[in-house]
Amino acid sequence: MDKPLHSLLAQQLGDASESGSLNLEQFLQAINEAYAETDRQRVRTSRANRLMAEEIELQTDSLRAALRTSDIHKIRFEAALDAMPQALSLFDSGECLVVCNKMFRQLYALPADFKPEGRRLTDILAHSLLGDGAGTMDAATRLQGQLAMMAHIGIPVSIAGKIEQTWPSGQVIRISRNPVDDGGFIDLTADITESHSASARIAHMAHYDTLTDLPNRTLFHERLAAAVNRCGRSRNRRFALLCMNLDRFKVVNDTLGYPVGDALLIQAAERLRSLLRVDDLVARLSGDEFSLLVTNVKRAGDVHRLADRIISRLSAPYHIKGHQVVVGVSIGIEFSDDATLSADDYLRNADLALSQAKAEGRGCACVFKDHMHETVDRRRQLELELRHALKRNEFVVWYQPQFCVKQGIISGFEALVRWQSPRRGLVSPLEFISLSEETGLIDELGAWVLRRACADAAAMPEHLSIAVNLSPVQFRSRGIIDTVKSILRETGLAPHRLELEITEGIMIADAQEALQILRALKALGVKISLDDFGTGYSSLNYIRTFPFDKIKIDQSFVRDLGHSDDSLAIIRAVSGICTSLGICSVAEGVETDDQFQILKTEKCDSLQGYLFGRPTPVEATRKFYEVALQNYG
Amino acid sequence: MWTQKLDLTGDAGHLPVERQLNRSPDLVLVFGQTDGLSAQAASRSLKTAYPDAHIMGCSTGTTIVGNQLCDDGMVAMAVGFDHTRLRSTSVRFDDAEDCRSAGRELGKILIDADLRAIFLLGNGLNINGSAVVHGLTEVVGPQVSISGGLAGDGARFAQTLVLDGGVPSSGAVTALGFYGGALRLGYGTAGGWDVFGPRRQITRSEGTVLYELDGKPALDLYETYLGDEAADLPASGLFYPLEISDPARPDEKLVRTILAVDQEARSLTFAGDIPQGWNARLMQGDPSHLVAGAEDAATQALCDLQNGDDSIHPTLSVLISCVGRRLLMGQRAGDEVRAVTRLLGEQDGQIGFYSYGEISPYPNSIVSGLHNQTMTLTLLAEVA
Repeated sequence: MDKPLHSLLAQQLGDASESGSLNLEQFLQAINEAYAETDRQRVRTSRANRLMAEEIELQTDSLRAALRTSDIHKIRFEAALDAMPQALSLFDSGECLVVCNKMFRQLYALPADFKPEGRRLTDILAHSLLGDGAGTMDAATRLQGQLAMMAHIGIPVSIAGKIEQTWPSGQVIRISRNPVDDGGFIDLTADITESHSASARIAHMAHYDTLTDLPNRTLFHERLAAAVNRCGRSRNRRFALLCMNLDRFKVVNDTLGYPVGDALLIQAAERLRSLLRVDDLVARLSGDEFSLLVTNVKRAGDVHRLADRIISRLSAPYHIKGHQVVVGVSIGIEFSDDATLSADDYLRNADLALSQAKAEGRGCACVFKDHMHETVDRRRQLELELRHALKRNEFVVWYQPQFCVKQGIISGFEALVRWQSPRRGLVSPLEFISLSEETGLIDELGAWVLRRACADAAAMPEHLSIAVNLSPVQFRSRGIIDTVKSILRETGLAPHRLELEITEGIMIADAQEALQILRALKALGVKISLDDFGTGYSSLNYIRTFPFDKIKIDQSFVRDLGHSDDSLAIIRAVSGICTSLGICSVAEGVETDDQFQILKTEKCDSLQGYLFGRPTPVEATRKFYEVALQNYG
Repeated sequence: MWTQKLDLTGDAGHLPVERQLNRSPDLVLVFGQTDGLSAQAASRSLKTAYPDAHIMGCSTGTTIVGNQLCDDGMVAMAVGFDHTRLRSTSVRFDDAEDCRSAGRELGKILIDADLRAIFLLGNGLNINGSAVVHGLTEVVGPQVSISGGLAGDGARFAQTLVLDGGVPSSGAVTALGFYGGALRLGYGTAGGWDVFGPRRQITRSEGTVLYELDGKPALDLYETYLGDEAADLPASGLFYPLEISDPARPDEKLVRTILAVDQEARSLTFAGDIPQGWNARLMQGDPSHLVAGAEDAATQALCDLQNGDDSIHPTLSVLISCVGRRLLMGQRAGDEVRAVTRLLGEQDGQIGFYSYGEISPYPNSIVSGLHNQTMTLTLLAEVA
């Protein structure tokens, strides 16, 4: 043989030849066994290969199916990511972008042909078109953009970090970074411009009045507390606190409606603002209640001058929706002279001073004095007693005669309310009418007086009329027409015998509505007289627009007769106008015969005063219409 | 150091064992068929002849001596050391709580300052060889090399024996400690098996018992691949060893071989741990690749022994090869032994057996462990 023996054959031959000669049977058996082994080996290998191929085929199939599922998941995952309102970017441990969503490309203004995947954040931001206008940006804006980029890149990864930044575009951006288990991190970038401004609006609303945009009570209180604190540390930081109410604001609101009232508040706020220094703070605390904090007060006089300016500026007429509206302002002032007081104490004191200003006739400013606390206490006590007085029937109506010059007889009486307090004695209306107006008692009290007067008059001879005063507050209450109507019915008094006296104050706020009420009252048959004419505005327009039955010339003019030519001129003029217009003129406060003679000469139709009689209880009125006839007949 | 092959056939043409040596051996290694070893005649006569020698041995289906493979009879090798001390001990499993504590027990007796290496023989069935080695290493430390093997029983898987104080025992592990600085050791282990088919995951296992691969019963897979040969399980299971690896360290592969099957539980019991969660791939053997594996093991061992000094040659070479290789290669099994001899050089002191598990340090590591389906070599020489 040319070729060497196969190693196995050589082994088999060797094994079978151990004894020196070839054991053919052993040799053939070994060969036979080797063939069988080889066959088994081949079958085993072929079987293994077939099974392996099948298994791999199956695995390939399931892998393909898994890939298809994975593709579907990928589509869904991308759809979910793209639907996110925030920009999402996931970076691997090498800080290279793995995945981002549509909003990421959009928010960072990445060019359409730029593939951010696999790149670092620094690289991606460098490709952003956000900085494209860099050439046109000013240096500060450019720097702002660069700083924002650096802050973004520098958010720590190890712990969850969050930053907010404003981009040169003005967008407010919040970026939160969270570590991912594989060592990378995920960024969520949200444009929070809107919610940021909403938060700012909410914060503003928490501290500012929505109507006037002035600071509200909360903010004012904070600033006041801070001022109190500063003042406590340094006496040089003196401040003044001014509390203000618009006089007659309620009338405006009630008569012209809230839209006008609101517009008035806005204009008043604007006027207040225009009077302030930069450091001062004016706030609207509620309704028509304003407060002013004046800091760094050097001299009290400066504050008084400011108060005067406020009064003068705010009292000037307002033109609102075709109406000319006039209101006043009352001011209470408190200075930071008592270091022991709290912000609330200062506010209360200024409020007391304001009450005092109102009590002093409104349209003025009062500085807080310690005794005001007592005044308030007294007032509170008076109010309490006043409420009891109505229930206990402590009020009485007294009557003052009115003299008809032409007929020379007592032609009627003016009903005047008196309070017979068991504790205080006889109390003058000056003391309790304004209080009952403020507390709302006036409606009940006014109706009581009207009913009493009508009932008393009904018992008097028919030629006697009865004049009853209507408080402006009572006049404006919508029920006045029904009240008058039902009292006339109850008492049986002929309507023409009743004269309702009003003052021009009712005309100022809303002349139109006042006129409507007046016409309705007049339609009942009662007479309307204009009281206290000559004081206040005394616009002749009032007389023109409404057919008053009487005009009562204020007693101050009568008192001055003989001393002042002006008074005589006014009386003459009013009397003349009344004569021309067919209105009955009445002069009040006639105390002397000289006055009587002059008024008679000036053709005043009717006179009233001590000369003819003081107010008396109803029982004592009889003597006037029986006896007085003879005296002045 | 010297070695001399002993003839245990008892033929009239040979000297009785006690008269075969003119010097007293320190160690006698003896390997043989289970029935031969259980007859105790050989071991008894060796013990009588050399009362001072440590007599170590175990059962096997096929013995190796020199270049020869033998499927019957017994082989023995007497070994004498000039500078090296020996100490042997054994642990019966019923004395120990488990395999790991058995290893620890052995270690406690053998440990000493100059303990260099341990040669271990254990029973091949009902044993967790990995655990024995771990327990032993825990006590003696990883610097002490451990090699050896688990007793075999050919393709029968019926009974294995280990000589325990010269007496055959079916429930013991015996260990021999080598002490002193003159001893040179060389280890090599390699398989040459080829992985094939898909990578699978060990989804259920407990210790050495494999229940499921990829969520399916492991025995189903083996039966499918074996076809008709499934009837010869567990022996035929050796045609398909399992390569396993920790997913965290995918480059460190271990090979596991079947010891038993449980038809009811549809499970397979392997000679070493099968950790749940690890990856597994079937392997198949081509005779020429297995021979190449044996060559690889021989090259490693010689290199390890010489450690750069070409003048050192092994005086004693212990070849422990897996029974799976024997079954697959059939008549060609002799090729791997001849290949080893060719690399190590012709020498008198070459002995070994086909085992149910091989023990040696991992390649390129000092840590020892259990191997399967490998040719594993332990080479010994003494230097002055």
